[in-house]
Amino acid sequence: MLLILVLAPFAGSLAAICIPTQKGTAAAWLAGSIALLCLVISAGLYTVISSGTPLRYDAAWLPELGLNLTLRMDGFAWMFASLVAAIGLLVVIYARYYMSASDPVPRFFALFLAFMGAMLGVVLSGNLILLAIFWELTSIISFLLIGYWHHNANARDGARMALTVTGTGGLCMFVGLMLIGHIVGSYDLDVVLSSGNVIRDHPLYTTVLILILLGVLTKSAQFPFHFWLPHAMAAPTPVSAYLHSATLVKAGVFLLTRLWPVMAGTDEWFWIVGLAGLTTLLLGAYFAIFQQDLKGLLAYSTISHLGLITVLLSLGSPLAAVAAIFHTMNHATFKASLFMAAGIIDHETGTRDMRRLSGLFRYMPITATLAMVASASMAGVPLLNGFLSKEMFFAEAIETHKYNILDTLTPYVATIASMFAVTYSIRFIHSVFFGPPPQDLPKVPHEPPHWMLAPIYFLVFSCLVVGVIPALTIGPFLHTAVQSVLGIATPVYSLAVWHGWNLPLFMSLIALVCGVGLFLVMKPYLTTSIEGPPFFRRLEGQRIFERVLVTLSWKWARSIEMRAGTRRLQPQMRILVAVALVAAAVTLLLQGFKPAAIAFRSIDPAFALIWLIGMICAIGAAYQAKFHRLAALVLLGGAGLVTCLTFVWLSAPDLAATQLLVEIVTTVLILLGLRWLPKRIENPDDPELMTISTRLRRLRDLATAVFAGIGMMLISYTVMTRELPETISSYFLERAYSEGGGTNVVNVILVDFRGFDTLGEIAVLCIVALTVFALLLRFRPATESLETPEQQRVQNAFDDDHPDRKKGDSIAEYLLVPSVIMRWMFPVIGMLAAFLFFRGHDLPGGGFAAGIAMSIAFILQYMAGGTRWVEERLRIHPLRWMAIGLLVATATGLGSWLFGYPFLTSHAQYASLPVLGKIPLATAILFDLGVFALVLGATVLILIALAHQSVRAPRAQMRAAKMAAKENA
Amino acid sequence: MNWIQHLIILPILLPIITAAGLIPVDERNRTLKGVIAFGSTLVVFIISVLLMRAAANAPVGTPGTGVYLLGNWPAPFGIVLVLDRLSALMLVLTAVLMIATQMFSMAKWHRAGHHFHSLLQLMLAGVNGAFLTGDLFNLFVFFEMMLAASYGLLLHGSGMVRVKAGLHYIAINLAASSLFLIGVSLIYGATGTLNMADLGLRITTVGPESRMLMEAGAAILGIAFLVKAGMWPLGFWLPATYSAATPPVAAIFAILTKVGVYILLRLSMLLFGGDAGISAGFGQSVLLYGGLLTIGFGAIGVLASQAMGRLAGYCVLVSSGTLLAAIGLGNGTVIGGALFYLVSSTLTTCAFFLLIELVERARDAGADVLAVTMEAYGDIDENEEEKEIGVAVPGTMAVLGLCFCTCAILFSGLPPLSGFLAKFAMLNGLFNPGGLGAEAPISGAEWTYVSLLILSGLAAMIAMNRVGIRTFWTSIEGTIPRVYLIEITPVLLLLTACVLLSLQAGPAMRYMDATAKALSQPQNYIGRVMSAPRAGETGAN
Repeated sequence: MLLILVLAPFAGSLAAICIPTQKGTAAAWLAGSIALLCLVISAGLYTVISSGTPLRYDAAWLPELGLNLTLRMDGFAWMFASLVAAIGLLVVIYARYYMSASDPVPRFFALFLAFMGAMLGVVLSGNLILLAIFWELTSIISFLLIGYWHHNANARDGARMALTVTGTGGLCMFVGLMLIGHIVGSYDLDVVLSSGNVIRDHPLYTTVLILILLGVLTKSAQFPFHFWLPHAMAAPTPVSAYLHSATLVKAGVFLLTRLWPVMAGTDEWFWIVGLAGLTTLLLGAYFAIFQQDLKGLLAYSTISHLGLITVLLSLGSPLAAVAAIFHTMNHATFKASLFMAAGIIDHETGTRDMRRLSGLFRYMPITATLAMVASASMAGVPLLNGFLSKEMFFAEAIETHKYNILDTLTPYVATIASMFAVTYSIRFIHSVFFGPPPQDLPKVPHEPPHWMLAPIYFLVFSCLVVGVIPALTIGPFLHTAVQSVLGIATPVYSLAVWHGWNLPLFMSLIALVCGVGLFLVMKPYLTTSIEGPPFFRRLEGQRIFERVLVTLSWKWARSIEMRAGTRRLQPQMRILVAVALVAAAVTLLLQGFKPAAIAFRSIDPAFALIWLIGMICAIGAAYQAKFHRLAALVLLGGAGLVTCLTFVWLSAPDLAATQLLVEIVTTVLILLGLRWLPKRIENPDDPELMTISTRLRRLRDLATAVFAGIGMMLISYTVMTRELPETISSYFLERAYSEGGGTNVVNVILVDFRGFDTLGEIAVLCIVALTVFALLLRFRPATESLETPEQQRVQNAFDDDHPDRKKGDSIAEYLLVPSVIMRWMFPVIGMLAAFLFFRGHDLPGGGFAAGIAMSIAFILQYMAGGTRWVEERLRIHPLRWMAIGLLVATATGLGSWLFGYPFLTSHAQYASLPVLGKIPLATAILFDLGVFALVLGATVLILIALAHQSVRAPRAQMRAAKMAAKENA
Repeated sequence: MNWIQHLIILPILLPIITAAGLIPVDERNRTLKGVIAFGSTLVVFIISVLLMRAAANAPVGTPGTGVYLLGNWPAPFGIVLVLDRLSALMLVLTAVLMIATQMFSMAKWHRAGHHFHSLLQLMLAGVNGAFLTGDLFNLFVFFEMMLAASYGLLLHGSGMVRVKAGLHYIAINLAASSLFLIGVSLIYGATGTLNMADLGLRITTVGPESRMLMEAGAAILGIAFLVKAGMWPLGFWLPATYSAATPPVAAIFAILTKVGVYILLRLSMLLFGGDAGISAGFGQSVLLYGGLLTIGFGAIGVLASQAMGRLAGYCVLVSSGTLLAAIGLGNGTVIGGALFYLVSSTLTTCAFFLLIELVERARDAGADVLAVTMEAYGDIDENEEEKEIGVAVPGTMAVLGLCFCTCAILFSGLPPLSGFLAKFAMLNGLFNPGGLGAEAPISGAEWTYVSLLILSGLAAMIAMNRVGIRTFWTSIEGTIPRVYLIEITPVLLLLTACVLLSLQAGPAMRYMDATAKALSQPQNYIGRVMSAPRAGETGAN
């Protein structure tokens, strides 16, 4: 049953979304019946609840973490649930007539139902975390409800403020509730409610209290978080009537009451809750007087009444708690009816401005009468329910609970606030219904449809009945609720109307008389004054909030983002190197790292010379990298060559051969690409550009680079010169031939031991080639690099000067001899590649080297003959080669599955062929073939991508020329 | 060997084969390519789910379960793939993201450049490889594969902004890759092994000299992953890159930062866990404080973002920071929650990146800047006439708005979806490391973590709220974007996954907790790998 109670509204909400926009009435019926269902269910549960044992529903959700779908209904929860459902039903009926026919109401009712569900969830949660969940849900849905008319800026701002304030509070509360769970050892409400002393005595109590109060005070719009509530009035009136009478703001009070038994009674509680409550009580009432907007007045009055309940709860006495619960209900009834009445006035006259309204009594007597009774209840006039709880409040205010100034002040503040309440209640009635007939109203007012008044009838009637015969009507329900909160601490209280001539009654009388007097004094001022109370008008919560939010969340955030971050590449690289340097240095130095002593004795002078050249090349390349790319590239090639030589020197022929081939190909490809890069910066050493900060920055970068380099050197030297630990390499040496079937260990590692790495690497190569290809397909060179290179210009000029030559002859003849040789080289290099490939498994070589070598053959052809010439003569399908390569390599690996071995398990044997003799045939050679095809394909693909730039360049040149011509014209 | 045992390698091989097959197919048959690639991803997804079930049901610590010896070479000499709960989880997550992205891209984005589907497949292979491998150098290879594909995908569609961001990205990642290599070689030089399980074994026995070098190597290696994970101050490239990428690419990039986080988690638990002797807890404080700073920076960036793309980029940073700090806390119960968070936040990020493009399709970019300056200087037109009749929201906008709300709720960790549950699980683990009820003091760093977690959620809420109101509530000229079903479906799919994750939080959380527990007992992992029998020898042993 409890589950249905909570889920039915959500289900209804989902159903309402699906109703088409025009079928407003259907949505209203749906919402009404859901609300009625909830009301019936909760009414039906009363007999169970009144026996005193809470009803529970448990379903596991995250049982390991103590979060379960636990619903729990005791008297207090029952009271709230009924309130939520009943007022929900009334508001639905009201809204059916309030909302315009052209309004897309299904959305409205969907949100409304969802909100009702969330609110029921809050009151019925039996688990703290579940409560937090529903709590935030009410914030989120109320955001959508307040912003329902989102085309109005006020609605947007109000909604956002409400969400920001209550959402923030909710997050704080969530942490607070988690801490309670931490203290108590369970999130279950029953456990928590029985552990009051544990919580109050825990060192974290104050933290918990502050966090939870942040949630409660923001939700219940208590000072200093009250400012969002008046702005939430931008919502449609039915929403206001619901949210600000029985639900949203009451959630805060609800939780405060719920946790009252376990948290109240301490000094911290008294001071924080009491101070917030008293301030709110007084300020809310004071502000309410000066509102010109009907709903604004009611909003501030709501704030003030919530303050009253908060004060009652702060006192820590059971009687006060009873009064708080009682007033919660009373306030819900009269405030809901007042909001509805305000909505009717707005609806029928087209304005809510009290300066424009007057004398409406003659047009709508029924509404007027109902509103009068309700506002009398708000003012605390005897024989109405508001009076009863107010009397209880006064009685409690007089009592001394703690000996401090706040407690002493309470009765005075209470009387003054009550006086204000009388004033604004009279004002509400007088300015709207009495006085001369209204002038130039947007609409001619008349009574609203009967069904629109029905909810108000009902509410006002209950105000009266409860006010006259409280003990017979509300008495038992209140008692059940009170008992479920206070348990054995439930005090003896009397709900009688007449308690004799006592101090509280005098306070009420004073408040009534003074309130009327104050109204008479203020009347002339109020009929013309501008919105908002004097003195405080400028100190508007909304302004401050917006300013703070913009400053914090926008201006400051922007400037911090700028300072703590960067979008430029250089600083990022600098940070990266520096961080890596620091990380390594700190790790090593903290443990007392001593780099191995560098020994110079046994160095061969020739080797040292090679390295010196290499180092100069490397440093030169870095030095020239930015301002002279060609030089940098050449120097880089130098450094690469030295690396090759080193490999040779240290007897690593495989590496040397591969390195050499890779050096050649990459250098050539980069050279080809260099042509299309934008022009370099002229005059890098221009003194104007070299400010002191630039110099300093460069110096710093240099230092970082030098340190990183030296550090790298020291570490590598240490690692290379120290005795090797027991490594896996000995295993490779032992088994390369016996199990891998090859004598060239490097190759066996590549295609067998770690063949999977190779597969990955060729895939990388494939990706890089595809990327370069895809990028260069879209590449359009910068206009400045479009013009013909200087050399070709000179050659063409030469042709032009000689009448016997055609333009382009020189370019064609230039390098004629080398190009012929290059063409001849094609088969030769092809043979070399085959040679490298086949000897790979036993001697230096292999698929990778062969692939690179073969691609050199292609590069030479392109260089010698030009793109068109080559492609007319050779079938070049690098994409296909790549695909085949990758597939062959993978398929070889998969082959071993057929024999029940894992991927890439190799098999080796020798096959004797005629003529060639014995040839090693390992399955690895197939794999190597795949490598070969892919490497060749990838390199050639990149080459083609670059080469085709020059095919496209003339077209681009033409386009650029056309553009220029157009601009000139 | 049983064919089921071969399943482990298929998430890597299948995409490679598909990609290879797709390369020569003409670009004009894009749809065909897309469908084939989608089919392949779908199969990978099914395999991943099977693997996850296998990992969840595997008996603890049996030698060889979930270990795949490549080339049939025994560990630590050959390369091994290792399947455990964590890697299986990541596989499934990746596959889900991939499915969504591919579906989305087939509406129009795959037309923006060449070889999109091949690159995507190769990236899938790379990411899956990185999750599965148990070998440090092989990890490098797959990392490179993933990065190379990401370069290509980032540049997909070309254009000034993309190429600029792309080149920054490439430069930084190449530098990070060099660090990776340096780190790996140092570790190899110090310990003589590349197998991660073997490393975990040797770390207790190496001499002080080697330990020092090995830790230096690990530190440098860690930097490379932190760059990938986007830790402050190494993650400035991230928002720019993610917001410049084409939407499906940005969406799939959501998994890349998580690869960095995954490896950090894996290695720190395996190498520097409780059993590591002197090295135990190495680098943990860096992760913790770096993570905290990252959350802070990310949250500030979220607030300071005008465009949704950058906002989402910063959300990625927040999520990374949260995870890094959670690892750095060194508390097993937090890690369970953090894994839940990882899944939830990755799904959300992916969905959000896809959604952004749909939402912004009908808007001009200048409007955002204008709206923000108006807000900052309070130039709101106050005399606007109030109409008290609601406006009907067109169906497309309603769906987009609903998705946006869901993303906002997930990002800011508001109830009731998985974003909230994840935060709850992490906080619960943090407050109650010994389970609910066990008294445990809360340290200063932990308090900082809690407050940053909440504040970052708040920042996301405020920023998403601002952006959402601007987009959905203030559209002055109500141009409705054209959205194809194939584009909104993946977004809905991802968000549904989040909803399911929330509904099934109990079982999901049990899986995560078991994963975290398995991570904190590396000896099981080590035992499984090191004693894995070779095929053909099973009978003999």
